[in-house]
Amino acid sequence: MSRIDVESLEKRFDEKAVVHDVSFSVPHGDLCVLLGPSGCGKSTTLRLIAGLEDPTGGQISIGGQDVTHLPAKDRRIAMVFQSYALFPHLSVADNILFGLQVRRVAKDEQTRRLAGVAALTGLTEYLGRKPGQLSGGQRQRVALARAIVSEQPVCLMDEPLSNLDAKLRNEMRLEIRALQQRLAMTMIYVTHDQIEAMTMADRIILMNDGGIEQAGSPSDLYERPASLFAARFIGAPPMNMFTAATRAGLPDGIIVGVRAEHVAIEPAFGRHDDHVVASIEYLGADAIVALRPLADPQGEHVFARVPGSRRPDSGERVTLAWLPHDEHRFDAATGLRIEGGTMTIAPKSVQKG
Amino acid sequence: MTSRSLRLDADRVFIAAIGLAIVVLLLVFVAWPMLIIVGKSLTTKTGFGLDNYWRVFGGRKFATVTWNSFAVSTTVTVITVALAFVYSYALTRSAMPFKGAFRFLATLPVFAPSLVQGIGLIFLFGRNGLINTTFDLEIKIYGFWGIVIANVLYSLPQAVLLISTALAVADARTYEAATVLGAGPVRKFFDITLPSVKFGLLAAAFLVFTIALTDFGNPMVIGADYTVLANDIYNQVSGQMNFQLGSVVAIVLLAPALLAFQIERIANKRQFALVADRSVPLAPKKSPLFDACMFVAATLIVLPIVAVIGMVVYASFVKGWPYNLTLTLDNYLNNTAQNGYEPLVNSVLVSLIAAVIGVVTTMAAAFVIRRDQGVVGRMVNGIGLLPAAVPGMVLGLAYIFAFNKATGPFSLIYDTLLMLALCNVFHYFSQGMLTASTSLRQISSSFDEASACLGGRVVDTLRLVTLPLVMPTLLAVGIFFFMRSMVTLSGIIFLVSPGTNLAAVTVMLLDDAGATTHAAAYSTLIMLVVIGSLVLLNLVLRLLGKDAPRAAI
Repeated sequence: MSRIDVESLEKRFDEKAVVHDVSFSVPHGDLCVLLGPSGCGKSTTLRLIAGLEDPTGGQISIGGQDVTHLPAKDRRIAMVFQSYALFPHLSVADNILFGLQVRRVAKDEQTRRLAGVAALTGLTEYLGRKPGQLSGGQRQRVALARAIVSEQPVCLMDEPLSNLDAKLRNEMRLEIRALQQRLAMTMIYVTHDQIEAMTMADRIILMNDGGIEQAGSPSDLYERPASLFAARFIGAPPMNMFTAATRAGLPDGIIVGVRAEHVAIEPAFGRHDDHVVASIEYLGADAIVALRPLADPQGEHVFARVPGSRRPDSGERVTLAWLPHDEHRFDAATGLRIEGGTMTIAPKSVQKG
Repeated sequence: MTSRSLRLDADRVFIAAIGLAIVVLLLVFVAWPMLIIVGKSLTTKTGFGLDNYWRVFGGRKFATVTWNSFAVSTTVTVITVALAFVYSYALTRSAMPFKGAFRFLATLPVFAPSLVQGIGLIFLFGRNGLINTTFDLEIKIYGFWGIVIANVLYSLPQAVLLISTALAVADARTYEAATVLGAGPVRKFFDITLPSVKFGLLAAAFLVFTIALTDFGNPMVIGADYTVLANDIYNQVSGQMNFQLGSVVAIVLLAPALLAFQIERIANKRQFALVADRSVPLAPKKSPLFDACMFVAATLIVLPIVAVIGMVVYASFVKGWPYNLTLTLDNYLNNTAQNGYEPLVNSVLVSLIAAVIGVVTTMAAAFVIRRDQGVVGRMVNGIGLLPAAVPGMVLGLAYIFAFNKATGPFSLIYDTLLMLALCNVFHYFSQGMLTASTSLRQISSSFDEASACLGGRVVDTLRLVTLPLVMPTLLAVGIFFFMRSMVTLSGIIFLVSPGTNLAAVTVMLLDDAGATTHAAAYSTLIMLVVIGSLVLLNLVLRLLGKDAPRAAI
């Protein structure tokens, strides 16, 4: 079995900790995504697990064996690089077989595995070509094939799709996930793209500033963000945040977050014409409406997601509403989620008329 | 960093061992001789002291010689950089025809020993030169202007190389932006072009200054009684056997060379730090009037280079210069004054040995610098750059002091072709190492990492990935050492003996003895060997070309 355990991992470059106090486990056969903005330490964490960097503290084990100070070549891992790192002077076949050759796998075994992997990744007719003669998507497949052919139990991926166009990225996302499940690989996948993370992961580790912000399933992160950072990082448009200063009736020291799809816009009535439609982003099935507070023209926009056919007009005055149980509450001082707190003042709920 | 140093796997030991071997070589063949020469300059009859320095500085001629050196070098620098800029501008920013030919012609002086410029100039403008006898003029080329012109022609290729590289990496988008914003050509030239190459120009200026300051061949041939520092060393050592005073003058020469080299290096770094990651290369547009002007300018600049070298080739086929201009092969067939062609064979051997040792050592050094960011890597880098600042004559003189012992391990190789090859390797070590380093750096480090993740040891990566990718550079570094060794004069002038004479020295001796047509023939043969080896390299590269490594992304 090849579970991965990371314990109190730390990496300093010149006294600056780029990864600190990172602990998590990936069960055998799981796909775990390391997600976070650029510079958050996710790639460094992956390189530490690969053995391309030496940690300054903590422990890494793969399949129960401590590999913290083992060189990369002895860790029984496969890795796919952001740049693919295909050897430009070698043919596709030689690129795929590189690892088997340096590990002196028998020739007939090599041939057998190459045929299998080439069929799996759809590269059979391209085996004789050089990487320079392939399209971006095909290079991606070669990088993938090279990782798979080694039949290592662990596969590490460093933003493998970031060089592809949007359509290809969607296809490859599904293919990689299918392959990972079919071959029962334990995979750690680094990305800054939340859609990749949400669609592929069994489990997401959200990183920020060298540490773990939240770890959980995609629905955990979306439905119960553990912090302001997690709430704003995941979901597009980012979660709306209200404080006592921006929304009358909220207690001090509390930040209330509401996702755009939970904000309902009602026609203005009476004195409740508190927002005006600033702009509309029409997406077809739905539309993102940006709303500006009437009282404060410079104030932060509030976003609401409405069905595309029922979008308001620009400049229209509206009033906002949401259901109490769609609220997320955060401590303004720590930024952490407040669980099960009773609401002192209920915001306007959705009502008819 | 503690855990890093604790990790002593086989790969790290392998890299550190190579690194230490290079460090030892550099200490023995660069640092130690330089220490000895400093010691020698301080050795007096009564012990240690600055007596030698006072004697040299107090000498009547010293101030004049130093002044001469700086006057020549400064003048050469100003003229060369100006001409090289115009020439490079024509090559990179105009759509003039025959650019390939212009590029090639401007490199001609690199293929011959520096004194060939001097010899060629004398054939043209000397007392019995073509121009003076044909038009019955009395142009006096010997002395200051002779040295200046010869050195301008000699250093132009290297300045053109630096400046045209700087001009070539221009980002077309900045020019497009300026055009859209309404800037005219003059404004664009002063606001975009000049600032973007200013460090390149600075680097070229200091490079040319160093070349002119340390050149020995041209002043020897055309300087007459206008003495510069390089000649002074030679006179002190070879003429008067005064090694102490020679080493003092060598150190006087070393100081400005060191300084100029440092400035050149910093300027070069700045120049290439300006290059943006994803720039759009500038493609010059056709503009008949401008292209014609540039074509004329480039022709005027390259003409003297071609004329001077052409004269040497022509004179090599002439019976007796200048009175009997009958064409003959006599200069080639009966060139026996200085051991016939033995020196030429020696030169080829020395150059081959230097090429092999040079490639192995500089590639190893570059590899260590790339793979070891620790102490060993930094040491290799630091000491490896030292020789670039040491003038050839100074290194050669230091070799006499360091290795000319009747006993000891070096007595076995002193006065052999191997010693001469080693001197050339370490004289040109830095340039070779920088070329190798640059080429290694262009290979993405993710190749190393990918190989390691796939189970490759450092040796596997080196053999299967790195070496195939750097093969073209390997050949280029080899040919660099070969070419420099074929033509250098200053480095080996003190180390040759009748048994180990080299081609470039033979040219000087023949010219000195008045056998000018024989000297011309010998120079022509050197150029033929060098150009021939280049042609050969290009053929090899073209054969490999089918598989020419291209970066995948």
